[in-house]
Amino acid sequence: MIPAAFDYAAPASLEEAMALLAGHPDDAKLIAGGHSLLPLMKLRLATPQLLVDLGKIPDLRYIEEKGDHLAIGAMTTHYQVSISEAVRRRAGLLADSAAVVGDMQVRNRGTVGGSLAHADPASDLPAAALALGAQLVARSRSGERVIAAADFFQDIWTSALEPEEILTEVRIPFQDGKAQAYEKFRQRAGDWAIVGAAVSVARRNGTIDRADVILTNVGPTPVRARAVESALQGQPVSPEVVRAAAEQAADGLDPAPELKASPDYKRHLARVLTRRALERALQIS
Amino acid sequence: MKTELSMVGRRAPKIDAVKLVTGRATFTDDVEMRGLLHAKVLKSPHAHARILSIDTSRASEIPGVHAVITHRDVPRNPYTSAGQSWPEPSPYDMYVLDRKVRFHGDAVAAVAAETPEIAEAALEAIGVEYEELPAVTDFRQSMGAGAPIIHDEPESYGIYDASRNIAAHIDVEAGDVEKGFRLADVIVENEFDVQYQQHTCLEPHVTIAFLDEDRRLVLRTSTQIPYHCRRMVAFALGIPVRNVHVLKPRVGGGFGNKQEVVTEPIAAVLAMKTGRPVKLEYTRADEFTIARNRHPQHITLKTGVRRDGSIVANALSVLTNTGPYGTHALTVTGNTGTKPLPLYRAANMKFYADIVYTNLPIAAAFRGYGAPQGFFAMEVHMDEVAEALGIEPLEFRRMNHIRVGDTDLMSAAAGEGAGKKPRVIHSCGLPECIERGAEAIGWYQKRGRPGDGPIKRGVGMCILMQGSGVAGDELAGAALKMNEDASFNLMVGSADIGTGSDTSLAQIAAEVLGVPLENILIKSGDTDDISFDYGAYASSTAYITGMCVLKASEDARQQIVAAAARMMDEDPEGLLVHDEKVTSLSGKSVTLQEVALECLYGESKTVIIGKGSHATKESPPPFVAMFAEVEVDTETGQVRPVEIVTAVDVGRAINPDICEGQVEGAVAQGLGYALTEEILVDADGRVLNPTFMDYKIFCAADMPTLTTILVEAEEPTGPFGAKSVAEIAINGPAPAISNAIYDAVGVRLHSLPMTPEKVLAALDCRGER
Ligand SMILES: Cc1cc2nc3c(=O)[nH]c(=O)nc-3n(C[C@H](O)[C@H](O)[C@H](O)COP(=O)(O)OP(=O)(O)OC[C@H]3O[C@@H](n4cnc5c(N)ncnc54)[C@H](O)[C@@H]3O)c2cc1C
Repeated sequence: MIPAAFDYAAPASLEEAMALLAGHPDDAKLIAGGHSLLPLMKLRLATPQLLVDLGKIPDLRYIEEKGDHLAIGAMTTHYQVSISEAVRRRAGLLADSAAVVGDMQVRNRGTVGGSLAHADPASDLPAAALALGAQLVARSRSGERVIAAADFFQDIWTSALEPEEILTEVRIPFQDGKAQAYEKFRQRAGDWAIVGAAVSVARRNGTIDRADVILTNVGPTPVRARAVESALQGQPVSPEVVRAAAEQAADGLDPAPELKASPDYKRHLARVLTRRALERALQIS
Repeated sequence: MKTELSMVGRRAPKIDAVKLVTGRATFTDDVEMRGLLHAKVLKSPHAHARILSIDTSRASEIPGVHAVITHRDVPRNPYTSAGQSWPEPSPYDMYVLDRKVRFHGDAVAAVAAETPEIAEAALEAIGVEYEELPAVTDFRQSMGAGAPIIHDEPESYGIYDASRNIAAHIDVEAGDVEKGFRLADVIVENEFDVQYQQHTCLEPHVTIAFLDEDRRLVLRTSTQIPYHCRRMVAFALGIPVRNVHVLKPRVGGGFGNKQEVVTEPIAAVLAMKTGRPVKLEYTRADEFTIARNRHPQHITLKTGVRRDGSIVANALSVLTNTGPYGTHALTVTGNTGTKPLPLYRAANMKFYADIVYTNLPIAAAFRGYGAPQGFFAMEVHMDEVAEALGIEPLEFRRMNHIRVGDTDLMSAAAGEGAGKKPRVIHSCGLPECIERGAEAIGWYQKRGRPGDGPIKRGVGMCILMQGSGVAGDELAGAALKMNEDASFNLMVGSADIGTGSDTSLAQIAAEVLGVPLENILIKSGDTDDISFDYGAYASSTAYITGMCVLKASEDARQQIVAAAARMMDEDPEGLLVHDEKVTSLSGKSVTLQEVALECLYGESKTVIIGKGSHATKESPPPFVAMFAEVEVDTETGQVRPVEIVTAVDVGRAINPDICEGQVEGAVAQGLGYALTEEILVDADGRVLNPTFMDYKIFCAADMPTLTTILVEAEEPTGPFGAKSVAEIAINGPAPAISNAIYDAVGVRLHSLPMTPEKVLAALDCRGER
């Protein structure tokens, strides 16, 4: 439970951090809140030679409303997101999911950037990011690129980021008018999700225009429940429609068994949580 | 004796509270020892294997390595790690290091080195050749034909039947159950399964062993049993008891896991071999894999009742998994039957058990000591018996529970009390516990009202009893010495392991001696002291050591009275000791300080030393009525405890805060047992969840509202009427919650922990969803 020895650098600017990463292409790791990385290091599942701490870089911690989107700095903590008035108003789903990450200590340290970059399918924010159509801004010495959340999560603990890239900002289109909710099932307070469901529904004149339904911890990445989405699309908002659609949440799901839950139980939870998230978002039951 | 009590019954803050919260308390590891070496143990990668050869030459040559030991370097004296009175009623089936390994993680060799890293490197350099043996990883297969024999070594003894992997066996009967069943109108039979539970002490096992200037072995160790530890280590290593000195510093939790000699023997051997202080400390993963756990069991209950609600026959049988060693094998399972069975009056009772070996983690003592398993089964079962008769469960229990004057038929038949005089109940506050508990939870308003919607509510209850010490097998010795300022050094051999017993014992002494609490300077758990004690287990300390301290304090008080009588020229009869003085009926008085100075420096020249020794055949049960209110999510299977009410008859609460603290802690641990905690093991016998991430104990945010009601049915044999309180409540959450789930959703859970998935499966079977 003691990490292997490592060097530590706390650059004062993004440029300096990018230079450090470029100079250590194989053996450096960024550290943000450290709440995912340090546990791995303690188990020696990660043994970086150099830790580059993003904590001393000013200007990576912000929540701003910019034209048509929210811009959130990578080092913004889960807690800051969960209490932000702007996030509540413009992207309620993000606040909803950030509020149920771990416990208060974890939310005070863990960051939006770290959570997304870590690409853990059991994490709560990746599902929300997908449902929200987030754009992720990555920077390196070779420049800046913007990656759609849909292309970002590639496999368990694997994102589209290159080793020398730093995730600097998350952009979320304003969600005004959408009905959104995140439902998370866990056995104990503060636990990771056994299954989670993030839903975002756009309505027009009482019919569902578009639904985004993304599930947490049922595959190697957050999983889009396409059957549910198409079952909802074009339908009137009603308890029957929601119930019938949610029944399809586990279609095609093949979750790995884990200590906490069998695949069948996870499939069952996917259906229940999808229905509950939709009911809460649409205020029906 | 005075009838007005001033110290006993008071909510005095724990005497060590400030030093604990300010970090000044010194635990085993909170010392800096010059030249300290770090020990590490090489663990078996197999569930069952014979060691063909061990090559330690490369490891020994690593700079910084001071000793490498294997079975070749330790005495081959069979022992048990169970900290019980001599001769321990557990099989002698362990060796400091052995030629055979019997579970994943069993000790193969040990190293002492300058740093933990060097010690780890040395372990990697040890070459071991194993002959893998077939393993038993399902305890239902242990006794089967063709199962590998786990203890085939000839030296072990005290095993009931090694050839069939039976560590211990129980078959006792009071009356004639078969006859009883023939008289029954209704017979109810049920089966139950319970899991491995870990103690999760904040402080893991840790020992620092060293030789003092007289070459005596000193064990500074985190233990519940300083005196047993001294004797057991001496016997295991073949050295005289006088050459061992055990020191118990602050202990960060025991719960039974430290009623065991675990890290001491290897640390001792390494210290003796190197002549340097050696520390052996378990990691959290070690605690989960190679320390001790609660015994998994399969329990069958069969009860015959008459239409009028009376019980005519009650039979309980158990198959217990003790793991690779039989530590506490007989006695823990003994309690599984002998605690719950006598709670219900019945002329005919039977208790049958096999405690079998497996190549799985070690099971041993754990708070409740077999009773949590037994009460889970009995109290769910009794709800079902009541239902079969159409009698309200509270009413059924009121009709049938044991009461004052009854003889506990099982006490003499099995376990540690076997063959001894049966215990008679002198005090029983159960009726009051049931009434007050039912009122506090709102039993009659809430029962049978699950509500609408997917989340249902229910209430359930259970009744419990435990013991206060092991009947007829307890002994404590204590002494106190008076100082110039009327303070007293109190020396006890019991071990305050965080329970607050030092405070309770000091309150007893302060009460008798008429001094404030701060005048009592208590020292517990040093075997070089004038004290003796079997240790902190079986809920014994307040009742046994408490009575012993009372006797020692009385002895000192009489000497004080005699000295004061001389000083005041009064008759000792009728002198009162109170408020730091001795007063006579005629109005004369001397302060205790004056008495002390006179004794130490005046004419009489006597040191006032009070001493006490206490043993008893009694073990009066405390009683509990526990009530649980739960919410059951019928769509996910999630069970959320809303409130737990514990009404507990403690005889007398010497310190109500400490009593409530013990109850609340026991309930928290019992909730984990009921709902979330379980050591999971794969088909090869490897522990799958050796971290707090995957092994789930209840944390503060999970806790329901706790209400504790202290009921005082004074026990004539206890100090100031006290019985025990530390264990009993851990037995209750599992059955009370299972019964509450039934009230909420109509399904019976017979298997622990009651995980959401299990609850959902039970609902599915009933077609609830
Ligand atoms: C007890 C506990 C419970 C938890 N429970 C939950 C939970 O219920 N739900 C949940 O979602 N999460 C949970 N977490 C994880 C927590 O939210 C983490 O903090 C988060 O996932 C990672 O954020 P971090 O800032 O700590 O990242 P770090 O641990 O510092 O980094 C994680 C990874 O991301 C990389 N990284 C970090 N920042 C950047 C960046 N800006 N650009 C590129 N790469 C970067 C690091 O190199 C590392 O590989 C829990 C953690 C703990 C310790």
